[in-house]
Amino acid sequence: MSPVVAEYWGVLGKGLMTTLWISWLALILGGLIGAIVGTARTSPWRAVRLCALVYTELFRSIPPLLLFFGGFFGLKYMTGIDLSPFTAATLALTVVASSFMSEVIRAGLMSVGRGQWDAALSAGMRTRQVLRYIVWPQAIRVMLPPSVGVYIATLKDSSLASVIGYVELTKAGLLIRETTGVSFEVFLIVAALYFVINYGISCGGAVLERKFHFVH
Amino acid sequence: MAFLAGARCSKGSSTLSIRDATPAFTATGADAVLRIEGLVKRFGARTVLDGIDLEVAPGQVVVIVGPSGTGKSTLLRCINGLENIHGGRILFEGRPVLAHSKEVITVRRHIGMIFQSFKLYPHLSAFRNVTLAPMKVLGEPRTVVEERARSLFRKVRLEHRAHAYPSQLSGGEQQRVAIARALAMNPSLLMFDEPTSALDPETVGDVLVVMEDLAREGRTMLVVTHEMGFARHVGSRMIFMDEGRIVEDAAPKDLLDRPRNPRTQQFLSSILHG
Repeated sequence: MSPVVAEYWGVLGKGLMTTLWISWLALILGGLIGAIVGTARTSPWRAVRLCALVYTELFRSIPPLLLFFGGFFGLKYMTGIDLSPFTAATLALTVVASSFMSEVIRAGLMSVGRGQWDAALSAGMRTRQVLRYIVWPQAIRVMLPPSVGVYIATLKDSSLASVIGYVELTKAGLLIRETTGVSFEVFLIVAALYFVINYGISCGGAVLERKFHFVH
Repeated sequence: MAFLAGARCSKGSSTLSIRDATPAFTATGADAVLRIEGLVKRFGARTVLDGIDLEVAPGQVVVIVGPSGTGKSTLLRCINGLENIHGGRILFEGRPVLAHSKEVITVRRHIGMIFQSFKLYPHLSAFRNVTLAPMKVLGEPRTVVEERARSLFRKVRLEHRAHAYPSQLSGGEQQRVAIARALAMNPSLLMFDEPTSALDPETVGDVLVVMEDLAREGRTMLVVTHEMGFARHVGSRMIFMDEGRIVEDAAPKDLLDRPRNPRTQQFLSSILHG
């Protein structure tokens, strides 16, 4: 291993932790917001469906890079709200992740047929109970594989936070290059780290998939 | 609904029934489990139910027959509030049934529904399919519910299959689990929507035997079916529906052997000889 990388290993490690933390945070927040928006997409009320649709289409159509700029510079320009790089990056990643998660969740909920609703409602369940005991447990199985994809995409998108000066893994690599002038090895290591993490997530997803798979 | 001749329904006609053929016309006022007055249901411009009047007394097994697309299933779905209605009213145990109302949940807890395609919950074992609603909807303690579920699995003759998943069960087994699931709520009315139509011929009998047991216990049942043997031997009353109306309402033997309305005659000859 190159001595440069060995010397700055701590910086890379810290950047890696930051990347994991911010993408994990965005996935959790994006999952929660995506669940609300995705459920709203299946609402019987047209206005609710429409609001959810606008949210999804808006944030998945704008390039994440512009959302990072928007969260950091744009918001301050328009409203005077000054967000830290961390908050702006989390915000941008969350809206992107939630717009994709809402589609995943909508598709999952809709994969559970009308017949299951009929059966559960006929047994006297309330909408909330049908969702909790009948629809969600079946939908999760369908949602899981694409959710893993969304998480991996979110983790990669977090590298864009480097443009607003947030020191995650990519920015850590850029800083090391600036300091040492070594490019290739540094970015090779950074790329390898992304691969290892994302491959790990992929494998974890496969394990979860087996766990949620009921006899069908 | 011209058929009002109570005298036609003589006791003598019930020798083949497993109980005295309760004449259709004894369900009066307060003691009726179900009372439907002038029910109208439309899908868009199409009128599916066009003025249904029906009363069901406790213990009656009412078999509904008729060509497909005449609103039999829709009638059942209206009764437990899965469909909103456009005219008339439905009273279940004296309570009006209105889809999307708060009270509809109370009504549904007292009506067991069995569907043509079973509609078991695929992510739960047969046993959990049966215990879920009593625990979550009625809030009964687990031990009580599980004890009842075990006896229900014996009743539907599936005690050895209780822990299988729906996909591991045959159609006939799934339908019997669905019956146990409905019974677990102690319903005062059971509705069957073509319960044997999706089954292999060799498993139809298993389901019909269970349904016959239930009728013998004195359960109130509303059964949409094409099983004329079941109608004749188990039904206490038979209704022929066509184009959203009740065309004929009589004791099964009378309706099957001496249909009065030409449309009933035509339907019966088409299914019995077709």
